[in-house]
Formats: sequence, C-alpha cells, structure tokens
Amino acid sequence: MLKQREAIKDVGRETSMFFVRCVIALIIVFGLMIFLLVREFKLQVIEHNKFQTQSENNRIRVQPVAPVRGLIYDQSGKLLAQNRSIFALEIVPEQVNDMQDTIARLREMFDISDEQVAKFLEQVKFRPKFNSYAIKTNLDEREVAVFSTSQHFFPGVSVEARLERYYPYAASLVHVLGRMGAITQDDLIRMDEKDVQQSKEIGTTRQRYAATSKMGKLGLERYYENELHGEVGSEKVETDVRGRVVRVLEREEPKAGKDIHLYLHLGLQRKITQLMKEKGVRGAVVAVEPSTGGVLAMVSQPAYDPNMFTGGISSKEYAKLLTPERPLYNRAVQGTYPPASTIKPHLAFLGLKDGVITPNTRVADPGWFSLPNNDHRYRDWKAWGHGATVGVMQAIVESCDTFFYDLSVRLGINNIHEGMTQFGFGQKTGIDIVEEKVGIMPSREWKKSARGEPWYNGDTVNIGIGQGFWTVTPLQLANATAVLANDGIRYNLQLAKEFAQDNVYEANTPVMAYHQIDTSDGSWLDLVKDSMKRVTEPPKGTAKTAFADAEYVAAGKTGTAQVRSIAQDEEYDATKIAEKFHDNALFIGYAPFEQPKIALAVMMENAGGGGSNAAPIAREILDYYLLEVLTINQAETAENQEETANGAAN
Amino acid sequence: MALRTSAANTHKARRSLLWRLHIDVPLLVGLLALMVFSLLVVYSAGGESLALVKRQLIRFGAGLTVMLLLAQVAPRTLKEWAPLFFVVGIGFLLAVLFFGESSKGAQRWIDIGVRFQPSEIMKLAVPIMVAAYLADKALPPTFKHLLVSLVLVIMPTVLIMIQPDLGTSLLIAASGFFVIFFAGLRWRYILGALGVGLILAPIMWYFTMEEYQKGRVLTFLNPESDPLGSGYHIIQSQIAIGSGGIYGKGWLNGTQSQLEFLPERHTDFIFAVLGEEFGLIGIIILLALYFFVIWRGLYISLQGQDSFSRLLGAALTLTFFVYLFVNIGMVSGLLPVVGLPLPLISYGGTSIVTLMASFGILMSIQTHRRLHSA
Repeated sequence: MLKQREAIKDVGRETSMFFVRCVIALIIVFGLMIFLLVREFKLQVIEHNKFQTQSENNRIRVQPVAPVRGLIYDQSGKLLAQNRSIFALEIVPEQVNDMQDTIARLREMFDISDEQVAKFLEQVKFRPKFNSYAIKTNLDEREVAVFSTSQHFFPGVSVEARLERYYPYAASLVHVLGRMGAITQDDLIRMDEKDVQQSKEIGTTRQRYAATSKMGKLGLERYYENELHGEVGSEKVETDVRGRVVRVLEREEPKAGKDIHLYLHLGLQRKITQLMKEKGVRGAVVAVEPSTGGVLAMVSQPAYDPNMFTGGISSKEYAKLLTPERPLYNRAVQGTYPPASTIKPHLAFLGLKDGVITPNTRVADPGWFSLPNNDHRYRDWKAWGHGATVGVMQAIVESCDTFFYDLSVRLGINNIHEGMTQFGFGQKTGIDIVEEKVGIMPSREWKKSARGEPWYNGDTVNIGIGQGFWTVTPLQLANATAVLANDGIRYNLQLAKEFAQDNVYEANTPVMAYHQIDTSDGSWLDLVKDSMKRVTEPPKGTAKTAFADAEYVAAGKTGTAQVRSIAQDEEYDATKIAEKFHDNALFIGYAPFEQPKIALAVMMENAGGGGSNAAPIAREILDYYLLEVLTINQAETAENQEETANGAAN
Repeated sequence: MALRTSAANTHKARRSLLWRLHIDVPLLVGLLALMVFSLLVVYSAGGESLALVKRQLIRFGAGLTVMLLLAQVAPRTLKEWAPLFFVVGIGFLLAVLFFGESSKGAQRWIDIGVRFQPSEIMKLAVPIMVAAYLADKALPPTFKHLLVSLVLVIMPTVLIMIQPDLGTSLLIAASGFFVIFFAGLRWRYILGALGVGLILAPIMWYFTMEEYQKGRVLTFLNPESDPLGSGYHIIQSQIAIGSGGIYGKGWLNGTQSQLEFLPERHTDFIFAVLGEEFGLIGIIILLALYFFVIWRGLYISLQGQDSFSRLLGAALTLTFFVYLFVNIGMVSGLLPVVGLPLPLISYGGTSIVTLMASFGILMSIQTHRRLHSA
C-alpha cells in the first residue's frame, strides 16, 4: 500500500460505511438491551419466588429511635419543661390489612373522635408506613388493660409508652416556653428546604425526625428546636413475618437534646402571673436584668395550659381558646401598643443630647400646645397646665404633655426616629422567640410607604407623648428602660442563658451583642434618671402613691395611653366597643436606683391610668424581687463568703 | 428531484414553528416521557417527598433550557469552537488536580464563583473535539490520525481517573472511542485493542485502581462475601427487583424500597425501586423508551449534513446507551458497582443537564440540516 500524505475524502464510501456502522451499533444496542431483559426476566420471573420469599423474610430492619428532648430550667435550676411517659394507642400502617375496619373496631372500644381519626390518617399519608403512629394518646390504666386483653384481634396495633412534653407550671409559662405540636406535611417540606439551604443531602433533617412525632411550635420550644431535639438513634432489629420486633441486634443510642437554662426566675414569673390574675387584667409584664439583657420574667395574661396540646387538642377545646380575651395571643412579644408617656425620659435625653433643650429650658404651659399658624389645640392631660412655665425635670416628674409637644417639634421627626431607634424601638430586641413583632417607630419614609401620605407636623406633636403612629412591644419598652438603667448600653434580650449537654455548659453567646448610646455628657443622663427617681417620690411624682414607703429607691415613669383600637393590626373585639375606649395603663421602671438589678415594663390593656393601676403592680413586683428573691440570694452569698473566709482562716 | 424539494417544502411549512425553534418532536416526546416516568419513581423512592419531586422538576427545566439553547448552535459553529472548548476543559481538569475541592475522598470540584465539576464539561468536549479532528480527514482514519485521536481521548480520561472518578472516566473514554468507531476504525484494530485491554487489566488492577474500586469488583464477583458492606447494595437491589415479579408491587408499594433496605434508592439504585414497584412490564416500558430515543438519535445522525455532525451525533447517542447499560447492569448484579446514575430517571446530579445538552446537539444536527441545503 502506498503511503499517502493526504488522503482524498470519498464521500460516498464514507456515507455507506457510516450507515453500516450505525446499523451495527443499533443491533448491538438492541442485543444488549435484550441481554438486560433476559437478566430481569431471570430475576423477576424465574427466580421470582425465591426473591419474593427473601423479601418477605427480610428479617433485619433498621428502625429509628427517638432522642430524649432537652429539658428547660429556670435560673435556679427549677424544671420548667420536662418529659413524662404516657400511654398511646399506636398503629403501624403497613401491618394493617384493612385500616378502615381496624379503626372502626377500635372506636367501638375506645372513645376516638372523628377528628383524631382524620388527624391520624393525615399524618400517616405523608410518612413512612413502617413507623408507628398514635391514634389516641393519654390512655388511662383501665384503657391499657382493656386493650391488652384483646390485642390479638388487632394486628399492627399496640399500646406504647412514649415520652411526651409536660409543663408542670402550665399556663404561667406558656408564653415563654411555647408548646409542641404534631409534625405536619408543611414541616416536612420546610425540613427539605432547610437541607437545600444548608447544602445537605435532601432527607437529612427528615431522617433526624424519623422517630419523632412532635416538634416545637411556639416560644422557646420552637426557637431552640434544633438544640432541644437531639440526634436520632437506630436499632437493627430482627422481625417476624408480621414485622413485629423479635430481638434487637444492634443499637446506636440516640443523642439527647441539649438542656436549656434560662435567665428567667420562676418565682418572679409566678408572682407576676398571680398579681395580674388578681387584678383580672389583660396585658404583659417584662422584667429584665439590666447588666446582661437576660429576661427575668415575661408574662402575658390571659394564658392557657400548653399541656392541653400534648395529646393533640380537639377543635372543640381549641375553639374555647378563641375568646375575646385571646389567651393564645402573646402580648409580651406580639402585642404592639402606643408607649404613651413612658418614653418621655428617652425623648428628654434625646433633646438634651441634640442640644435643642438645656436643663434650664422652660416652656410656657397654658394647658395646651399649638403649632405656629394653626389654631388646633393639643391638650395637656391637666386642663389648666402645670404652671406658667415648665422645665425638663418637672415635665418628666409630672408627665407634662405641653413640654413634650414642644420638644418633639423642636427635635423633628427625623431626629426622633434616629434617636429612638438607638433605644431599640422599631426593631427586634433579639429575644429568642420567633414570633416577636417590631411595632412601628414612625418616620417620613415609613408613613410614605405604609400610608402613602406625607408627614405632617401634627404627627410629630403626637409622637412627643408616645401616641399617634408610634407602637412598641412590652419587650422593647422593658429593653429601652434597661438602657437608661444601664447608662446607655443596650443588650440583646435573651431568655436562654446557657445550654447543657453531658454536664458541659455552653453560654448562649449572642447576649453580648449590644449597642452603646452616646452618653459622653453624663449630666444629660443623670438629669433624666434623677427625674425618673422623683416620679416615685413625693411631692409631685405620678407614682408617688404606689411607691410610698418603699425600702429601696426606684426610678420609673407612668403612662396612660388613649386607645382607639387595641392595636392597629387587631380586629377581634367588635363586641367590646365600650371597654376598648378605656385607656391602657403603663409603667416602666428600675431599681435599686444606684445599682439596678431589675428593669421592667408593665402594660395593662384598658385598665385606666398608669400611675394608679400599673405602678402599684410594678411596686409589688419590685418588692418581691428585691426584698424576697435577692435578699435570699444575698444571704446565701454572704453565707458562702463567710464559709470561704472561715475555710481560708482555718 | 423536484418532487422531493416540494415535499420538503410542504414539510417545512407544516412544522415551521418547531423547526425554527430547532426542536425535533419525536426526540422531545421520548425525553418528556422518560421525565414523567422519573418523577413518578422519584416520588416513591424519595419517601413520597414532594420537595424532592419539585427539585427534580427544576433540574428537568434547566436541562430542557440548556437543550433548547444548544439546539440553536449550528454544528459548524460547534466544530469551530471545539479546540478552545477542549483546551479550556483540560485546563480545568489540571486546576482540579492542584486546587480542587475534595469531597468523600475524591477531588472533583472546582470553585470559580460557582462550584462545578470540570469532568462534566469533558463529557461533551471530548467527543466534539475528536469528531472535529477526524471529520476533515479522509475516513477511515490513517494510523497517524488514529494515534492523535487516541491521545485526545486518553489525556482527559487519565486526568479524571486519578481524581478518582472511574465512572465518568469510563464514560468519556467510551464517548471518544465511539467517534473513532463511527469514523471507520478497522475491525482488526478493535479486536486488537480488546486483546491489549485484557493484558492491561491486571496491570491496571495493581497500579491504578483504588482500594474501594477493587472492593467493588471483588464484591461483584461474590456479593455474599460481604452481605452487610458493599455486597449489601447488590443483594438488596436484586431482592427488590426479583420480588417485583411481572406486574410489580404497585406504585408506592415497594416493600423493599419503602422499608429502607435499599440504600441510595432515589439516586444510583432507583432502577431497583422501579423494578420492584412496576415489575418486568415497567422495565420493558423503560427500555422501550430508551431504545426509541437511541433509535431516533442514530436516525438523526445518519441524516447528518457533514462528517462532524454524523460522528458526533452517533457517538453521543451511544454514550447515552452506555450510561443506562452500566447502571442497569450494576443494579441487576451484572456489572460491578460504579457510581453512575440511571440517565434521566435518577434523582439529581449534573448528569441531567449534561445529557440534555447532548440531546440539544442532536436537535441542532437535525434542524440545521435542511436550512443549509435549501
């Protein structure tokens, strides 16, 4: 054969060669596919019986084991959320031949509502058929005994003991701890989405929940779901033909969830709950430790018993909770209210800091205020005024509206918005509860986008006494009070202080994130704080009656909010028009004055004047915490120190 | 002749819209049918997770988009860009070796803003390059041209093999080899290569294969030797398929797969779920769909305008077959376990997009043809 430098393309020959090769390729493909089919034929037809038996006898099964949920404790180690074992009637769907029939027969023996059946079927629909699901929980001993005698009539059905969440202090902590609820299809989808976001393999989180039927739905239970839940374990078990476990071959222990220790003081929480119940008011009280931002108590009244939800609440029982009093509504974190006069100290501080007023500024007070070139009169709560002219300290102590109308106009909405945002208004406090609302710290931009209207000077005037568009949550109010007590340092509010697992304690870090307000000229803050001290003192303080004979020095500010509606975004109580017009009573305060241990905000819906209604409750709360709780602690500490000293001496 | 032109014209007029979009309807129908099948099986294999189905749908959407885009590129353009495409691909492979990210003991990923697997590019770049190279030569290729083509195939194959990614390197070697085969490689060379392969196999075994790869082959030869380790997959998937019987246990009713005996049941081992739930009938339907797609691919290639189109089209089609043959073979216990998905059925993986890209090229070959000859 001759060597050719460049062969000439022979298109005709190439085409026919290609055609032949394609035909050959197609024949090979077809042949190999037949080869595959022969293999499947062998597996599925010839050896079918063998594999069928193997499949049925596939005795070894891996089943998930639920981890124990982490516990929640208060600051002194009292157990607030625990796990209790209860008996449940459970069904493994795969082992039931006729589900309708089984359920019908079970209903002849037990009291199972249509709703429970529907819930059960719903749950089974979306989850693995070989797991066990409860159709009825909280069986009593008699029911357990009755079922055990007739168990053999019900293949796939059994009575199982399960750990369920139990809240020993029931309603008094529900708005802090939240509650548990059944895992729904939406929850499962959210788990998958989380896997995607964290670029984990899909199904990873579901796997974690393979043996779990409930998850945190509200409050701390929801916020710390990840920490509390723990890691699923597994059991390799041998089963009989029916799928019943004969013995456990291998077991990988589940890892219990982390325990959470709170800043919360159970005694204080219960004391506040009791005080509010006695008064019979709706509202919220939040108490924080100024030096850490830890929440000592967070009460929202009325409340409900979260244990009702443990076994799955019926719609009838649930409907009972949908009263005009709205016990399900967490007023401390979700309620947004006008702050009224409680923010006057903050506005005064801002006025001094920005230099629009000085400690010597005096404002004429005829009992009303009006804008230049406008004859609309903004009235003071005291019709005849607080005197010819009023200074800043008197304005805080006596809660003079005219002074603050004037101050707000001098500051202007832009400065107010910026300054009050630094106190945390219009922002989340960072509290470890997902449901937290932010309220409204109004600004020109806010009004433009929310209302489509420009900002008027009249709007600013209303802001000066904490009315108008301004709304806050009780949490924000407590936080802003702590900022004053704490000389300008603002912490994130936190319920959880530390996590514990296997005796290893780990601090909840974000609590250290804080904001420092410019207090470079200390006299501004001193003046404001001094004024707040005089609020609780004779002769003129608006809370002087409530704090008469107090054994400590407290600082405070009262507020009485005119209410057009309980909150702009609430619409429920058309039936209560009359009461709806009653004022909200407010009080903020901290004590002891020199070294604040507690700062609080009291918010009582439609209770009337703040000085006569909210301040007395605050007094009792402070008395309890400072004189009973801290004294005990101090005694203990002193004792300890003595012992240490003695020990050292010896 | 006149008759043919007018027939072609009416033909063109009738399907002008899809034609202008460069879509081949029979191929599209075949692919869509496979996708529907996939969604059904993924839903069942994934524990009835709608989220999984949703994500698979998004992948199919992306695949179809890539297919449509590539279909717009004329084969001539593709050929012009082939060398650049290839060189950049090799560059990425080298970059992976030196700067790549490791995951599960293999270095396959690279991060340039987005994280991707360069070997995925080479699945297309290699056959395109070899086809571009051979298309201008007289066919069948001379020994010299043959050697150059082999170098073009072996270089990326070796780079991917040392990542290590046996499955992908095998696919890429096959795709390059198919181009040479269709270019008219003499039968004695083919037989010779098979002989050399048999001699080289033991050498490869001792010097290039990783322990886990050896383990897979050993397990394949005797799955009962390691029933709870790597043999577990093979035994369990055979039980699943075998217990399915002729009619299957029904959708969502596969006890083997639902009981979680089957690992990776929504990815590489999805065929076992299909076999268990849809039985032999389901498998026949699946293979028929695959065969239809392959037949259409070869048919399009046969009508290709030039050597480049023909070689590339036929090679891509056969590579698709290798995918499914290797996957089904391994799940049914005929071949050792290599990590290859069941094409267009398995959940996830970039493989869907790459496969759809090659179907885009096939559609381009089909639809750019008559436009040029007109």
